[in-house]
Amino acid sequence: MRTADSRGQWWRFGLLLVITGVVLVPVAAVLVLALRPGVASGSTASFGIANFTHVFTDVPTLIWLANSLGVTLATVLVSVAVAAPAGYVLSRGRSRAVSAYSLLLFVVQSLPVITAVIPLFLLFAEIGLVDNLIGLGIVYVGASMSVAVWMMAAYIDTIPVSLEEAAWIDGASLFTGFTRIVLRNSLPGVLSTAIFTFLVSWNDYLVAIVFLRSEERFTLPIGVQSFFQQNGTDWGSVMALAVVMMLPPVIVFTTLNRYFSVGGIGGSLAGT
Amino acid sequence: MTRARRTLLLLVAPSLALLVLINAYPLVYAAVQSVRDGTLIDPGDFVGLDNYRDTLTSPAFWRSVRFTLIFTAVGVFGSWLGGLGLALLLRTRIPGRTVFKTLLLLPWVVPVVVSSTAWNWLVATPQSLLPTLVHALGLGTPLFLADPVWARITVCVFKVWISVPFMMMMISAALTGVDRAVYEAADVDGATRWQQFAHITLPMIARSTYISWILMTIFCVNDFPTIYLLTGGGPVDATTSLVVLSYRTVFQNFQVGPGVAIAFVMTLSLVVVSVALYRQIRKAHA
Repeated sequence: MRTADSRGQWWRFGLLLVITGVVLVPVAAVLVLALRPGVASGSTASFGIANFTHVFTDVPTLIWLANSLGVTLATVLVSVAVAAPAGYVLSRGRSRAVSAYSLLLFVVQSLPVITAVIPLFLLFAEIGLVDNLIGLGIVYVGASMSVAVWMMAAYIDTIPVSLEEAAWIDGASLFTGFTRIVLRNSLPGVLSTAIFTFLVSWNDYLVAIVFLRSEERFTLPIGVQSFFQQNGTDWGSVMALAVVMMLPPVIVFTTLNRYFSVGGIGGSLAGT
Repeated sequence: MTRARRTLLLLVAPSLALLVLINAYPLVYAAVQSVRDGTLIDPGDFVGLDNYRDTLTSPAFWRSVRFTLIFTAVGVFGSWLGGLGLALLLRTRIPGRTVFKTLLLLPWVVPVVVSSTAWNWLVATPQSLLPTLVHALGLGTPLFLADPVWARITVCVFKVWISVPFMMMMISAALTGVDRAVYEAADVDGATRWQQFAHITLPMIARSTYISWILMTIFCVNDFPTIYLLTGGGPVDATTSLVVLSYRTVFQNFQVGPGVAIAFVMTLSLVVVSVALYRQIRKAHA
């Protein structure tokens, strides 16, 4: 029994190893090509960081990186600040208005970004928010709002109401109960929401390609894409830029992975 | 209004304001634009339902509908099967489980701009890695992005590759709720592995499965970068989904009215379908 069990274990281990290997081929290709100096870098070594020196000195990579970081951090902060109180209401509220709000979140989530992007482009053009990183951030906060609220609500569901009730009896207001008790115990929920909005904002292509016009405003996705279109055969430099773009989300996700849960979305969608 | 209700309203107010600005307002604006013949800089004149008539009678629109349906069906069920398989494998005792779990999430975490570039390098020309391998095996030289049928297959596989981790996370979360004692009891009763899967595992994850299908349908129908960055909608429109068609109509042909009409028809169908499904879940759960 024991040997059969451990044989099954090694068979599954081998299978997982093969699957993971195949799945990661594209990611491995990016890393390998980035570290193999290409023609444009002027280096003859078979292995090295010449591509990275090239993209950081001859391409506005640093500006794009700074733009992406700025927009993403602002989006994460604002999203969490807006989604946490809304998630609290969604989790604790039991009225008809709360149900309507929940349905609204769901309808909004199913709206295609393309439908919103065209009118927003026209509106933002009027008020000078096209080709502007603030305009971009506003759209990202709106685009990630539903999932962010669900994630916060899902986490707040796990905090017992009795804690707040005790505080209310001691004379605390609803708002104090929310900030002093619920928010203080919501770090995993906040991190989960933050990771999600980070990914939405960092990885977005559609909104950025519509809204950004000048090279010094580009975020990394648009920078990488335009560089790829102009230097399609210089795979070394293209992949070095790709590495710069994929490292932040990969680092954030692998270190904070244990806090991230999409499972809860199901619960708050279905209602409790 | 009581003080408590006022506080609750204040707490949702910022999110409501954003939902209206970023989602409700554009929807109304889009509705208006879709009955005009404007461009990006000129609001144009009222043309009634012409844009809708042109859209619904255009063969390009129906070709896009067909591709969107194929893309969505393959995306949803392909990623569900993959995610289910991996979630079940990862549930067993395996050395290095956490490492595998993290590595397998990477396709979802890596930006699409990066992964589409990598896939391009792998398949784009006959000299790329995958076509060379296929050729070496004596299986001909499929043009993965230049042949219409192969391009459709490649885009769908790419979408499944990106989406499997999301499904894996959803199903893994649902599986942790299943009590192991149930399986032990089933073992004692002599239930086969397949019977255990069909009568214990599947029912236990049914609700998350249903929700994940709805969410993935929305993600697939609304997807733009996965398709656009890999094929640009080509070759010869073979992989032009409704979103890509709408994007091209507005931002490449500068026909705002027809482009918005396409997006609007798609939005309405999606909202109707997803709200119906949403009611279904809430009803099933109540």
